[in-house]
This record gives sequence, structure tokens and C-alpha cells, in this order.
Amino acid sequence: MAHAVISCLHANLAALEAVLSDIDQRAITTITCLGDLVGYGPQPNEVVNLVRERSIPSCQGCWDEDIIEGLNACECSYPSQLAERRGHQAHQWTAEQLSEENKAFLASLPMTLRRDRLLFVHGSPNSQHEYLLPDMDAFAALERVQTADADTLFCGHTHRPYVRELRDGVIRVRVQTPADPQAAAEREMALPVRRIVNAGSVGEPRHGNTHATYVIHDEATGNVEIREVPYDVERTCRAIVEVGLPPVFAWRLRHGFEYAERADDASHVCER
Amino acid sequence: MARWALVSGLQGDLALYEAIQRDLRQLGRVDTLFVLGDLIGPDRDANALLDRLQDPRRGELAPQCIYGWWEDQLLAERGYRGERRADPLRQQFGQAAVEALQEAVDPGHLAWLAALQFGFIELDCALLHGSSADVGDCLGPESSPLLLLDRLTRMDVNRLFTARSGEQFCVELAGGGIASTVRDLAGERQLQQVVPQRKVIGIGGGLRYSLYDPGSDRIAFRSVGQQPGSRGRGFA
Amino acid sequence: MSHTVLLSGPPGCGKTTWILSQIQSYRGPSGYLRVTGYPDEGLAQARDGGLDLAYLRDQCPDLLDLGDLDQALAPHPADLLALIELPQFHPPAQPGLAGVDRRVMPQLQALHLNPDRHLHFGRDPELPRQDTLDFSHLQAWSLNLNATVWDPDSLSSFWFELVNGAYGDVYRAKALMNLPDGRAFFCNWMVSQEGSQFLPLQTLAPPDGRPERLSRLVVQGRDLDPAAIEATVRDCLLSDAVLELQQAPLRQRHTPPTRSA
Repeated sequence: MAHAVISCLHANLAALEAVLSDIDQRAITTITCLGDLVGYGPQPNEVVNLVRERSIPSCQGCWDEDIIEGLNACECSYPSQLAERRGHQAHQWTAEQLSEENKAFLASLPMTLRRDRLLFVHGSPNSQHEYLLPDMDAFAALERVQTADADTLFCGHTHRPYVRELRDGVIRVRVQTPADPQAAAEREMALPVRRIVNAGSVGEPRHGNTHATYVIHDEATGNVEIREVPYDVERTCRAIVEVGLPPVFAWRLRHGFEYAERADDASHVCER
Repeated sequence: MARWALVSGLQGDLALYEAIQRDLRQLGRVDTLFVLGDLIGPDRDANALLDRLQDPRRGELAPQCIYGWWEDQLLAERGYRGERRADPLRQQFGQAAVEALQEAVDPGHLAWLAALQFGFIELDCALLHGSSADVGDCLGPESSPLLLLDRLTRMDVNRLFTARSGEQFCVELAGGGIASTVRDLAGERQLQQVVPQRKVIGIGGGLRYSLYDPGSDRIAFRSVGQQPGSRGRGFA
Repeated sequence: MSHTVLLSGPPGCGKTTWILSQIQSYRGPSGYLRVTGYPDEGLAQARDGGLDLAYLRDQCPDLLDLGDLDQALAPHPADLLALIELPQFHPPAQPGLAGVDRRVMPQLQALHLNPDRHLHFGRDPELPRQDTLDFSHLQAWSLNLNATVWDPDSLSSFWFELVNGAYGDVYRAKALMNLPDGRAFFCNWMVSQEGSQFLPLQTLAPPDGRPERLSRLVVQGRDLDPAAIEATVRDCLLSDAVLELQQAPLRQRHTPPTRSA
């Protein structure tokens, strides 16, 4: 059975509608959402309403948590002062707009969802704020999946979709204790094959163009397809300006840059 | 070359601390004393020990302290950890233990305890109570090598000293590797990684402590009262 | 024998860069003057505010300021190389000295400067050939940034947005910006060139509060949104408290102000 995994909708209704339509065309009925329904984008209530209408199971993202709990992200999670100020601006606007009912819905979302050996999280099993980047240390990546007792871990948060298979892992250790310090015991641990699937971002893509991204996982074959879906970006950009969010958000979205830029923007120069 | 002494789990026992200080004086060549948490516990009044740690006697090695699991529980219960309370302690040892722990420490010591750090990074070594994941993370000789490697990686250090399990051990990562395939919208690439040469060292607790020579990477596991002349239970 | 060269050209064609290379390769004393250009129809001249002079003097500390009346009225050294920069959009109507914009002469005479050569970018082959775009309705805008200090990562993001069109079509942007560690960067971008230049100034300020050196942003382009630029700049600049937080650890390691190698 094929199921779709979506993440990081960020209050972008046009993008969510396009992705759901793409999923519907494939006659896929099981959809899982990895959180960050709101934040930066102009239609927080509309997006939450649509997720609720479609009864899409969702885990809680860092934005969803922050909107309910108040700003929780530590300062160092923003790459710059500018990004932090903009994040706070977007946070305040979103918190004002969201209905109490929708806030209660976001508060009710679980941190993780599990179906058999599939685990769904926003950032990592450890934290909604942790980024599992495609090139991160392979042992650390495997540890996240293994400790969570899963075969495949679905995550989002980075806004760049990828599939990583970890295999042929072996760790050899030499263990010494005071009982017999001279005779060190050697052990070998064969590591299991595990996968991390990042679903990318529906509402705030950052993979090089403006298309929304999500993934389709076929449980029978194990195949994962990364889908790119064009949508009416201008509709969302117009809405950003109309609702009074900073126009630079529209500019960034239109050019495929995240609202809160990372410090690795192409022009980054001020390395210490 | 100077050595470090690594101590933990004093749990308010000033006599034990004085015995360790005597031991170190007799051994010589120890220039830094690290106390990796659990200065306090529910079983005895910790105020005299806390006074001494903050105000060492002449001729004693001045201790470099971090907080451990017991301090973390006390600080949580006393409101120093935001909304968090000493629930793990309550679940494991009951309400009586929470109260005993609070009685063991004069409120005048709380500010000093609250200022203690989570750990030290010295050279390429992380000195922690539990691990880089959590102060309560209990690493031992039987811990999954994958977990140990992860804890080293999180701190990006070559040596991780831990005290939480109370055990003395050294797990050396001695080889291996892992392959991975990453596929994204740009294409597919293969990554290969080898296990780095790193160690996790359990320093023990209470009577049992460890010496470490960062120059030679030599560890010696000791117990208080062990003959100073004996070669001890060390190994390279 | 002294030379006085008047150099003209449109914004972003490389006048200051060429002048710096002349000064650096000339063995004798040099002087520099930037004359404010004249707005042609629909084309505003940028208010440089001393930016180019500040950068050139950082690179060449002995450079004479020919706009300084005290220096101008004193006898010039016999072998002085005097370089006068004149922003000018359109090519001169006549060749050689006859092509100098007449409006500039009274100002030069008052400063005892009498050009013996006139070179114009796009006309004279000895100047580097630049992509001198044809443009109309150029808007100029500048912002005084004296005593401001940037969060480095925010500066990086802001500059990226600025030169890529987030605040209007930028044809030319240049600036001197202070960083909390005492460094300053001359940031330079032209639409005709690939990418931005970020040139560190030789002079370091002590990491002790706000530097006194000149700091300014100059932008030329079309449909600029100055209010949005200013709003973003405000979000990038460090408050006194944050600046102190970043500078305090640097002061412990700091040696007295010096010129880096």
C-alpha cells in the first residue's frame, strides 16, 4: 500500500491544495503530516482547517509547539539576528490570527506517530528542533532510528527532501574493566539496515526551486518517490502582502528561499 | 606529565572526600581534581562537604565541580529548572527521597549548585556526569557501541568521561564502518564512513575513582586506600 | 612633474578601483578628489558621503585629500599625481580635455586643480572595458550608518537580498560596514559583474563600543523601496547590550589597535 507523507506546510494554502490534489490523483488515501502546519505563511487557520477536514494524522512541529507554548526555540536556532527578528514577527502575527479552536488542535498533536516499524516525527525522535541533515554522521543518524525502535524514520524540518539508506554498519569495540585490566574483551556489533526519509516541505520549499515537495512510500516494494508539485506561488505571495506580513517573505518564497534564511545563503561572507 | 583525578558520587560524604584527597596527596603528580557530579544525595547531610568544596583547605587540590543527576533533581524540585520538578526521583525512590534530598542541602547552597555547569571540555575530552544526551544518561561497558559512538559524536570529542553508572570501564572504539546512500532531487550519492578511534571512560563513583594522563592517554582505575606503591589497575 | 587626471564614467564602471591601482603603482605622492556629479534627466547621482575616500585612505594612508581646503591651498608636491573622480552618465561630447563637463571647472579651480588629462570609461581604450549598461530613470539612495555595527550573519543575508532584488532592481550597491570584532568591510556590487566584493579594511577598530570610522550604504537602481531597506537594516544592527556581549570576550585577547599585515 502506498501512503503519502507531507511536512512543513507553513500556512501556505495554495501549496497544500496542490499537494493534496496530486495525492488524490494517485488514489492514495493514507496521508501523514509531520508538523509545522503554521508559521511565516499567510493562511494559518485555512491550512489547519483543511488538515482537520481531511482528518490527516499529524505530529507536532516546532512552530506548532511554539504557537501554543510561547517562543521556545533557543536563540541559537536562528542563523542570524535578522532571522530571529523575522521569526518573532511571524510568530506574533500567527499567534494573533489563529483561532482558539485551532490552537487547541495544534496543542493536541502528538510528538511522534508510529505505524508498525514506521516512525513519523517532525525533527528527530529526540527533539522537534533537531535537524537530520542528509550528510550528517551516519552512525548518529542510525542511532536516531535504532533508539526509536523503527526501521524507517520519516522526518521533516530541514525543508529538503531526501532518502537515506544506512547499511553494512559494523562497530568493533575493546572493553576494559578493573576486574581484568590486561585482558580486554573485544566485541563486534553488526548494525541493522535502516532508512531516514525526509518529506521536504509543502509550504516553504528550500531545494532550489519553488515547487512544493512531499514523498510517497510504497510499503510493499519499499520504494520512496520524492514528488515535486508546482503550485500558484503568486497567490500565496499576494496573500502575504495583503495580510500585512513583511513583503520580503513574499520575495523569498517567490525565489525558493526560506523565509528564515539559513546562514549558508550563497553570499555568506562574514566567516570568523 | 600532570594527571587528572576524576571523582563522582560523593553524596555528601566529607570523610570520603578527605580520604580521596589524602590518597591523591600520597600519589603525587595529580594536578587537577574533577568532581563529576552527585556531590549530594538523600542519605546524609551534604552541607559540610559543600562548604569544603567551595572553600578548599590549604594543601588540598581545589575541586572543579559539575552538577550530576542528584543536583539536577534537587534544582528541579527547588524551581531552578523552569517547570520541571524532581519527577524521575519521585518515581524511582518515592516522595520520602525527595524530601530527604531537600533536607540534606541547606538553601544557602542552592545558588552555588545552580551555577555549576553541565560538563567540561578539556583538550579533546568531555567530562560529564551522564552523557552529551542527558545528565541521567547511564553509560556502561555493556552499552550499545552505537549509542556510545553517538554520545561521542554529539560532543565532537575523542574521549568521553562519564560517571552516572558508577562503574569503572573503558570502551575503545576499535574499528568498523558504515555505508549509506543518499538520494534527493539532485540525484544519488554513496557515502562511506569509518568508526573513529575514540573512547568512553566510566570513572566510577564513591570509593572508586580514576586517574587520567592526557599526555599519554593512560587511565588508571583506583579505589580509596589502595596501596600507593601498587601499580594499580591501570592500563594504557 | 605633476599630473592631474580627471576620470569620469557612469556608476559602477570601476573608477575607484582603477584609481586605487594607479595610486598603488605610483611611487610619488598621490591625491584624490571625488566631485559630486550632476543629475541628468531622471538619473540621480548617489550621495557618496565620503565612502570612496574613506576606503582609499584605508588602503593608502598617505593619500592626500584634495577636497580639504588646507591641503588644497598649500603648494602641491612637484611630483603629485592628482586623481579626480567625476560620476558622469553620458559620454563626453568632445574628445580630450574639451569634453570635460564645464560645470565642474569652478569647483576644481577653487581647489587649485587644473586637469591635464581627461579619461572617460567607455571612451578611452586605456581604461578597463566595463559593461556600461544603458539605463534610464536611475534612482539613488543612501543611508548614513555611522556608529552602527552589524550582526555578521544578518549582514550576509541582507546583502544577498539587496543585490538580488528584494528591495527593487539594484544596479549598484556599495557600503562600508562595521562588524563587532572591529573589522570593517567595503562591500561592492555592480549588476555588470558576477557576485559581490567584500574587501576588509586594513584599519581595525578596537572591540570597544561603536567605531568612529565612516559607515554608509549607497544604492542606485530602480523602484527601490527605501523604507523596506531601512526596516531590514534596523533588524540587522546590534544593540549596545548585544554588542557588549560579543565584544567583552574579544577585549581580553585584544592587542592595541594596529594595521593588519
